[in-house]
Amino acid sequence: MSEIVLSTSKSGRLYRGQTSVDFVGRRRIWLLASLVVIVAGLSSLGFRGLNLGIDFKGGSSWQVLAKGITVSQATAAVTSAGLNDPNVFLLGGQTLTVQANLSSLSLADQLTETNKVVTALATLAHRSPNQVSTSSVGPTWGGQVTNRALEALIAFFVAVVAYIAMRFEPKMALAAFIAMLHDLLVTIGVYSLFGFQITPDTVIAILTILGYSLYDTVVVFDRVRDNTSGVMKTGAMTYSEMINLSMNQTLARSINTSLVAILPVLSILVVGAELLGATTLQNYGLALFVGLMSGAYSSIFIASPILAWTKEREPRYRELSLRLETRAARQAVTPAMAARMTDDKNSVGSPSSAAAAATVVVAKPRKRKKR
Amino acid sequence: MATTATSRRGLAVSLVLTLVISFGSLIGAMSAGWGPKLGLDLAGGLSVVFKPAHATSAANMNEVVNIISNRVNGLGVSGATVHLQGGNVAVSVPGVSDARAVLADVGQTAQLLFRPVLCEVTVPQKVLQPLKNYNGNPCSAKTAFTLANLAVTPDSNSINGFTMANLGPDLSLTNFPTTAPASDNPYETVALPVLGQPGRRYILGPAQLSGQAVKSAVAQQDQAGAWLVNYTLTSAGSPQWDQVATKNFHMLVAIELDGVVQSAPVISATATSPSSFGGQGSISGSFTQSSAQTLAIAMQFGSLPVRLLPLSTETVSPTLGHSALVAGLGAGLAGLILVLLYTILYYRALGLVIWLGLGVTGALLWAIISALGRTSLAPSFDLAGVTGLIVSIGITVDSYIVYFERLKDEARAGRTVRTSVDRGFKSAWRTVLAADMVSLLAAVLLYLIAVGSVRGFAFFLGLSTLMDVAITWYFTRPIVILLGRRSGVQSNSMMSMAAGMGVSNDE
Repeated sequence: MSEIVLSTSKSGRLYRGQTSVDFVGRRRIWLLASLVVIVAGLSSLGFRGLNLGIDFKGGSSWQVLAKGITVSQATAAVTSAGLNDPNVFLLGGQTLTVQANLSSLSLADQLTETNKVVTALATLAHRSPNQVSTSSVGPTWGGQVTNRALEALIAFFVAVVAYIAMRFEPKMALAAFIAMLHDLLVTIGVYSLFGFQITPDTVIAILTILGYSLYDTVVVFDRVRDNTSGVMKTGAMTYSEMINLSMNQTLARSINTSLVAILPVLSILVVGAELLGATTLQNYGLALFVGLMSGAYSSIFIASPILAWTKEREPRYRELSLRLETRAARQAVTPAMAARMTDDKNSVGSPSSAAAAATVVVAKPRKRKKR
Repeated sequence: MATTATSRRGLAVSLVLTLVISFGSLIGAMSAGWGPKLGLDLAGGLSVVFKPAHATSAANMNEVVNIISNRVNGLGVSGATVHLQGGNVAVSVPGVSDARAVLADVGQTAQLLFRPVLCEVTVPQKVLQPLKNYNGNPCSAKTAFTLANLAVTPDSNSINGFTMANLGPDLSLTNFPTTAPASDNPYETVALPVLGQPGRRYILGPAQLSGQAVKSAVAQQDQAGAWLVNYTLTSAGSPQWDQVATKNFHMLVAIELDGVVQSAPVISATATSPSSFGGQGSISGSFTQSSAQTLAIAMQFGSLPVRLLPLSTETVSPTLGHSALVAGLGAGLAGLILVLLYTILYYRALGLVIWLGLGVTGALLWAIISALGRTSLAPSFDLAGVTGLIVSIGITVDSYIVYFERLKDEARAGRTVRTSVDRGFKSAWRTVLAADMVSLLAAVLLYLIAVGSVRGFAFFLGLSTLMDVAITWYFTRPIVILLGRRSGVQSNSMMSMAAGMGVSNDE
């Protein structure tokens, strides 16, 4: 799919909405690609689990701006301040972060230990203790955060499916739901695979991704609905061909929108988190980046093929497909075309027929009128 | 849409109004010196979430919020919020430099103390170092609240049932520093503010009794309908109170909670000589229902009605917050520039419409966020909010993309630019509405259900989505349609509107 965007000759067609990618016919490839990523992610989830941040499992963390201090220097400093097994890392080359679990200590001792580490870090970074940020989270807080996030997720799914089912149709709601589920699984899988830390910000980001992916899907489905009452009425194309047409018509928009959405996120990730070292931004940026890519992919390659697949099972569209197929066979004059038809008999919309559909849209109804 | 002539005027009016309102409100907000209320992670500060140690009633939790609010507000910082979040109490104090000291104040166990009032002072003009460890009585002889100076006389003709000299504040002590709640030592002389009376402080002597002597207190109305607080003392507290009352007969005793004087009644003002209270007493005065209830609650729950455990505490240093703000702004700007470059390359003249549109949206958003920052309606503007806005750049620009791609469709179908802009908008408008509706749905749900910074994110995402709908209708529609109607005589240059629509005038 990448060559559509990159090659110059095809980009002109993309710009004019004249591409002819067979989104529906090649659905096995798209689904398989997603399945590979999801299975890899899920198996990693099974074996390694998720790298939960202190907000979920409880613990304490310290942050200070410390240019030129190495992780080993910092580890030595906080260990001598009494921390057992601290997790020390540098973000953006300057924000020193130390994480540790103090829950075995009493509340008063936790406070004392927190202040000791603050002093140690302040001395190390040549800063006043006021410039050390601290955070401590009880083990039960994470459970609450997770529960609220799950509640929000379920409410979101229910509301969105209901909205699409009412505004569009139930099968579109199903396809959109599967696409969202896809994005959720891909994002969580990637987090597990690469061991990225899950924070409450990650949860926010995932919810945004689902909204975004859905937003994208809705725009495509809006065009599908348009075409259903438009070109579909002529009976000149199957439902799958119509979806392919809609997809190709909105492809430039989908790619533009995804680019416009991903550019700021990429900038959050690169400029905000890497160059300037804002950790919250990094947490958002990472999830959003993975998720937006997945969301852009799923609204093009998952939602629409699934919609086509479920709609083609409806009797009226199955009959339409059969009728058009036999008519096409009858009209097939050249041996080459006949051969191609038999080759592609089983796939609903082959690349060639989709290409034909894209150029035929305007021409075919006129032919029918003449008859 | 009506005839071209009328709708043309309508479009122009809509366009001009949008430009005037958005840039006017931005200039207004900036010249008024308004700015967004920065959140904890950008301004630095403290945030704590407390959990009750055991299940308790909603009324008790509201009481906890009240007590903690009083404590936090007593610190003299602005923009602090205390609210219930699920079953927990969330405290956020942005903009403090020494967050850990504040944490100690907020988290301390409350203590209710009865102290003799030595004299009254006003509030110092400048901020002074809080008073630490002071013993003795600084009040001058004339203004000291002594038995002789106060001259309390029972008088049944007076409304209150007694008369008293009005001594006024001791002006020589105006710069006497206020005692910080953390250094409020029962054994020392302190200077404390009075609840609900800004500008008034009392110099108080060492505590003579603690809240443990009070068994219960309740706000009630007397036969005349005036509010008063009736209290009962414990069996151990009853004789202790009688001692205090005798010692301070016809003088003022302050009831102090967490470093704030809740009330300072005159002891036995209507009696001519001290006598035993018999374990019960009543405080009357110019109470309203709520001030009587506040005092009753303070006396009964001197300490919090339920013990609190910190679930999560976070302190952010102002330097780290500042660097995060710079990073957020940097990321936003860089992302915006990338998007702007892309749109101008892809859509040419139409790209300029996106630039202007983003300018309008940005101006209006800044004005709204600044205005909301002056109220308590909106969550403070934190890093999550910044991210919400950065993400909304995508959603905002997408509305233009949807429209412009429709324009290209129409142009490809052989229509002129003039007719394309009208037809294109109609179909694009429906798409934008459907898609923004989904985004808004997500924002509202997140805002209602989620906790913490998620709400800020949802709020600003929802706000900018609403803006997108408004801007698409009141700005994008008129400007593109008006441009489209003028484009009959347009050039065929690379920057023309037709170039952005993928049609050339040669065709």
